[in-house]
Amino acid sequence: MKRVHATYCGCVTPLGNRPEALWEALAAGRTAFAPVRRFPTDAYVNQLAACLPELDDPAPATRLETLLELLSLPPRPLPQDALLITASTKAGIDQVETLSRDQASNTEEVLPDILPRLLGRRLGLNGRAWNASAACASGTVALACAAAAIAAGDCACAVVCGADLVTEFVFSGFSALKALSSGLCRPFDCHRDGLLLGEAAALIVLMNEETMLRCGCESLGVVAGWGISCDAHHITAPSREGEGLLRATRNALDAAGLVPEQVAGVVAHGTGTVFNDAMEIEAFSRLFGRHRPPVVSVKGALGHTMGACGVLEALLSLCACRNAHLPPTAGLQDPEPAIAEQVAPRVQPLGEGCVLSSNSGFGGINAALVLARGDA
Amino acid sequence: MMRFNVLGIGWVTAANCGRGADALEFAFAGGPLPKLDHHALFGTAFPRFGRLDAYTRLGLAGIALALRDAGLDSWTEKRPLGLVASTESGCLETDLQYFQSVLPDNGRFASPNLFAYTLPSCMLGEASIHFGLTGPAFVVQEGGGDVLAGLKTALGMLSSGLCSTVVAGVCNAPAPPVALAFTSPPGAVFFVIECAEEGPLSLCEDAILWRGQPQLSIESLIRSIRTSGYPS
Repeated sequence: MKRVHATYCGCVTPLGNRPEALWEALAAGRTAFAPVRRFPTDAYVNQLAACLPELDDPAPATRLETLLELLSLPPRPLPQDALLITASTKAGIDQVETLSRDQASNTEEVLPDILPRLLGRRLGLNGRAWNASAACASGTVALACAAAAIAAGDCACAVVCGADLVTEFVFSGFSALKALSSGLCRPFDCHRDGLLLGEAAALIVLMNEETMLRCGCESLGVVAGWGISCDAHHITAPSREGEGLLRATRNALDAAGLVPEQVAGVVAHGTGTVFNDAMEIEAFSRLFGRHRPPVVSVKGALGHTMGACGVLEALLSLCACRNAHLPPTAGLQDPEPAIAEQVAPRVQPLGEGCVLSSNSGFGGINAALVLARGDA
Repeated sequence: MMRFNVLGIGWVTAANCGRGADALEFAFAGGPLPKLDHHALFGTAFPRFGRLDAYTRLGLAGIALALRDAGLDSWTEKRPLGLVASTESGCLETDLQYFQSVLPDNGRFASPNLFAYTLPSCMLGEASIHFGLTGPAFVVQEGGGDVLAGLKTALGMLSSGLCSTVVAGVCNAPAPPVALAFTSPPGAVFFVIECAEEGPLSLCEDAILWRGQPQLSIESLIRSIRTSGYPS
């Protein structure tokens, strides 16, 4: 098995368009929520989301094109045959909205494969390019597929990019499902009552060691393990026993050759919905037993960025490995007793070891990654 | 190079519904897809089947036929089989229907039931629940409407050890009434594939090979599988 190095990370978020700026904002406890301007929200449970102001009036480009234009690309050319896997739940959905309103829409941009097409063109790649759609676990699934392909020697370099927008389509849907919080998003809090949405793009370049050295890149950390598993339980509700997430995290640790006691910290999905967070608490309790690593959810600061969140949270996990701490869980006031000693509304130091990052989504899909320092 | 066995094939196209073991010829064809009868497809009642969207019903039918062909459709304990489907149009028709429920009165009457099926991977979620499959499950969306994209991705997933058996294929519901040019024919075709040291199926630089011969279409792959001894 070949080691899988992250050699470049880029992001666009309402709290910063560089990983370092985002990390500093999160560590300082900043949050990104503001009233949504781009569509009427009076009929919905909440009016807040973490939006990029640049995308409110993006014409003449589409919102997705503008989001990708804001994304800083690697400074060095990538191997042209690099694998490109994007992760999006609803790329192109703003064009579906336009089409539904009988307005002129760019019909080429209605389908989700627009994301790999736009990004592949911008990066000058000519290898295989596809979008992974696995609900809110899309980004983690995309990274797992890319890392597994590099580790197995099936490819030398892969670019993984997650991106999703705050649209009326998605906002109304989560409101209709009663999954939106009526106030602030409070992951792992006793008084949590739902999620808030956010938009972002995040990009990670993965390489095997030979390619990294040949391209003159430095390691920002390694993707050491990966696992994906379905609950096979319910289409929108997670399994209360958390067995799908438990399998995904165990598989990820097995792939990394590590045991749960070697996990120094967890970047959790932590949506702030009652059932997701309860499922994660159960799964982590079963995985770790008496070992109690610190846990964070960044969705209280950035919102749920859907297809982007897996890549964004992997990027933050790499930052956590380098900086040896986890950022605060914004919105947390009264933590659930079962996880109270692991979550905090302040920076938490990390001990020696790896960081586990996981996501779960509709359809009962769960995915997990193990990330570590490149010199570990 | 990793090698694989094909354990089962199932399809729903405008020509017919069939399985690898049937004498029926496989073909994509124009025209409406056959009516799907849940008793015939699943052997038992599946009362919610009729309420699912067309894309999910079609994908579930293809997966059910492939699993039955492999003798894997009945189960008592959950199994770590993976699910991979490529799609071009995905759940676009459901997306359009859902947004029609949002437009009146600024979203006050948005339908939660429709919204739950506006993710193409929910079709695989339904299959995982109905057949107790706990492996990796995701949808592949690749430009150009390559109907072999899901199969290629699944073989790569098996090669890299993400799972050892997978149900993989393609699912495209009939095109919704919008001015979009879809290149993929409507229908669902799924294969049940396992890792096998001496298996006749392989993947070499994104080309699917059957006994070393490149297979450029699903039609040619199914023909090759059936003419060289099936199941493999």
